[in-house]
Amino acid sequence: MARLKFLCDANRCIACDGCTVMCKNTNDVPRGTFRRRVVTINEGQDGEASISVACMHCSNPPCAAVCPVEAFYQRDDGLVLHSKDKCIGCGYCLFACPFGAPGFPTGTPFGVKGAMDKCTYCAGGPEEDLSEAERRKYGANRIAEGKLPACATACATKALLAGEADEIARIYRRRAMERGSEANAWGWKRAYGKSL
Amino acid sequence: MTNHLNDIRNARAIIMFGSNAAEAHPVAMQHILAAKEKNAAPLIVVDPRFTRTAAKADVYVRLRSGTDVALVMGLVREIVRNGWHDRDFIDKRTFGFEEVMKVADHYTPEEVQRITGVEPALLKRVARLLADNRPGTLIWCMGGTQHSHGNNITRSYCILQLVLGNMGKAGGGANVIRGHDNVQGATDMCILSNSLPGYYGLSDGAFKHWAQVWKVDFEWLKGRFDLAYDKKQHNKKGFTMARWYEGVLQPKEKIDQRDNIRALFYWGIAMESQSQMHRVKKALEKLELLVLVDPFVPSAAVVPDRKNGTYLLPASTQFENEGSVTATARQLQWRYPVLEPQYDSRPDHWIMFELTKRLGFGQEFAKNIKKWPDDCLEEWRSGLQTIGYTGQTVERLKRQRDNAHTFDLVTLRANGGPCDGEYYGLPWPCWTTDHPGTPILYDMSKPVMEGGLPFRARFGTEYKGRPLLAAKGVTMPGSRADGGYPEFKGVVKGTNWKTDLSDKTFRAALSKGMAPFGNARARMYVWTFPDPVPIHREPIQTPRPDLLADYPTYPDKKLQYRVDTAFASAQKADTSKSYPLILTTGRIVQHMGGGAETRANRWLSELAPEMYAEVNPRTANDYGLMDGDWIWVESPQKGRIKVKVKVTLRVDPYTIFLPYHFGGVFEGVSRIDRFPEGTAPYVVGESGNVVTNYGYDVVTQMQETKTGLCQIRKA
Repeated sequence: MARLKFLCDANRCIACDGCTVMCKNTNDVPRGTFRRRVVTINEGQDGEASISVACMHCSNPPCAAVCPVEAFYQRDDGLVLHSKDKCIGCGYCLFACPFGAPGFPTGTPFGVKGAMDKCTYCAGGPEEDLSEAERRKYGANRIAEGKLPACATACATKALLAGEADEIARIYRRRAMERGSEANAWGWKRAYGKSL
Repeated sequence: MTNHLNDIRNARAIIMFGSNAAEAHPVAMQHILAAKEKNAAPLIVVDPRFTRTAAKADVYVRLRSGTDVALVMGLVREIVRNGWHDRDFIDKRTFGFEEVMKVADHYTPEEVQRITGVEPALLKRVARLLADNRPGTLIWCMGGTQHSHGNNITRSYCILQLVLGNMGKAGGGANVIRGHDNVQGATDMCILSNSLPGYYGLSDGAFKHWAQVWKVDFEWLKGRFDLAYDKKQHNKKGFTMARWYEGVLQPKEKIDQRDNIRALFYWGIAMESQSQMHRVKKALEKLELLVLVDPFVPSAAVVPDRKNGTYLLPASTQFENEGSVTATARQLQWRYPVLEPQYDSRPDHWIMFELTKRLGFGQEFAKNIKKWPDDCLEEWRSGLQTIGYTGQTVERLKRQRDNAHTFDLVTLRANGGPCDGEYYGLPWPCWTTDHPGTPILYDMSKPVMEGGLPFRARFGTEYKGRPLLAAKGVTMPGSRADGGYPEFKGVVKGTNWKTDLSDKTFRAALSKGMAPFGNARARMYVWTFPDPVPIHREPIQTPRPDLLADYPTYPDKKLQYRVDTAFASAQKADTSKSYPLILTTGRIVQHMGGGAETRANRWLSELAPEMYAEVNPRTANDYGLMDGDWIWVESPQKGRIKVKVKVTLRVDPYTIFLPYHFGGVFEGVSRIDRFPEGTAPYVVGESGNVVTNYGYDVVTQMQETKTGLCQIRKA
């Protein structure tokens, strides 16, 4: 079965926050909690770069490995989802996650009381697809409707890609090839200096 | 915009001045980044601030705010001295190159550095990149226009493109990206005080043309003006958006009309977007009647201290309206309504029609409108000859909208299907109902019936014995004329191409493969402007008084748009000692305009909840400030705002940057409790434009918000 993936092309991301807003609006994520964020490094200087980050739906998810109550499960298409009913809000997954994806309700000390909330790839949760219970706990289930995650559909520069891993790889490979053509060819700058 | 956004994909180089597209036009960035990736086009960003757009640049040029002319003329000089200019193009299709070079020769790399702070090596590198990578596109935005000599700045951009031969070419052009949805449409309709729709001006001829289109009597139309005060009152420019408040605050004798302004409609306008906002507030307080038409409650309802006479009319949103809108690239698109007007809201045209009825000229106002919006489009389409807003019928626009998928991403042309051969949006000029539209202006590689166009013959055939028409040999495929020719007139007796309401003149021209407006040279020397060739002039509030001897501003202007405008006298009062920091403003991606809509949006207000001032770490340390500290920012005109410090390297140590989207707080006091129940936005903040300085463009009266002075102190 095809695996579903995200990829954010940092050459294209302009930190417009379109993905963040689409995510919050589609899934009704409460104020103060974010399933997706745009991170910028080296702001205002050479080398400034931005990237949109959410749960990367790892093949071997460390969050699931440390969860004491086995709240996580991985679907056949690779999506890593969790049950808010099982979750005890311990926050171990947050420590384990390399992307800082798990979020917790705000307004409590350290923000770790209450069930964890994270990106579902717009695929809901363990409840019945498109049910009211699923909507209330996990937000939208666009995957069940045959749609892509909302964040990627809103990307102004097509930096954020979502879909089957093979397809994303094909798109990105093509971009890499184009960037490596003509005066962008690998080694060109080293050979002939920075002036194109 | 001579070219279109998608056409940026054809660019071999991109140079952007005062444009932060990554925040202000995120979708345009898609095309810019595509050109960068696919064509290896170097992206050069020129801006006083290291913006998110600069983060994507191959070359970033930090210049002192408001010194673009010096830099651009320096580039022109460098290009010409190295023989990189397009001699053939300059000789045959432009006018005034000698005069340009007389000015440009003054801007040596050393002089450019003295004015702008840009190092000679960088200047030379940029010139080289532009010369080596053609055609290149030049993009600018408000950073280039909102200056007291903004008209010089934007004209210098065009000169650079002409010298490089980048005009009228796919991937080239002088491209200003407009700031809002349908701003281009609003401009074309001339929602301005200096012209009737279609840039016809305010002459009697212009009024007669429109009286004919509107089917009203010319004398009646003229009689609507205060002819008892001055029988030429209808030919006079009115107040501008930037300075209407002077019409309220100045004594009667100082304004060019009988009485002060006493009533005001703020129709979808944010007071936050106006410079000198503390004075705007005073004017709003002095008015007898203030009517606010907006889907959201604007700050003008709560910031001014008014007791009575304020009315809020709830306008419906774009989703509840139908009609055409015109995008930055002169493209029209039909917009279907998504839903009926909600609650008590009414569409703008409904409000306008009801208002004119009650004011007693509803009959004349809506004479030709039986069916909305179709008849409205038909009405303006029959009178907008000047810019070829004539071939875009409702039927064609709807057909394009319904078949948008049949158009090419890069050329905009439909390939087969019901719109075969048309360009998306029928970009004007779209002369006749069978013309496909003109996606790239002045492109002579195509026949005129496929969207080709020469430069317009606007200013006669010669100036002081020198030819203004294009040289022999300058022609386009299928044209019967070799070389330049004047505009068409007399095809229908007593009319020219601008005033012939039938399409006979257009068809006569098109059948010969010629443009109705002639084939002339682009003027680089504009004898009708204060500076015929753009020269650098220091901003009114300059941080560099040492440059005033060489680059002073203009003399004061009498009754410019009905009120005096101070230039030299305002500049003479050197304020740079007590206000040592440069103040500049701009947009952030989360908010729009004055922010009434976006600050009332849950998610956007969460992402950008607070007003702030960007301060360089060095400046912060010198002033003893830390990230998050409160400061007062004060202007030489005694405007002051209390905002938080954001310490960032985006600005240099001499500059303070303010976003302009916040409102609802004035001089440190929140007015959020004054909003009618349930209408307060999620977030309010001090308005950056309270502290933007006095200064207005000498031609357009555009406010000088991009270069001013300020001082900061800990609050």
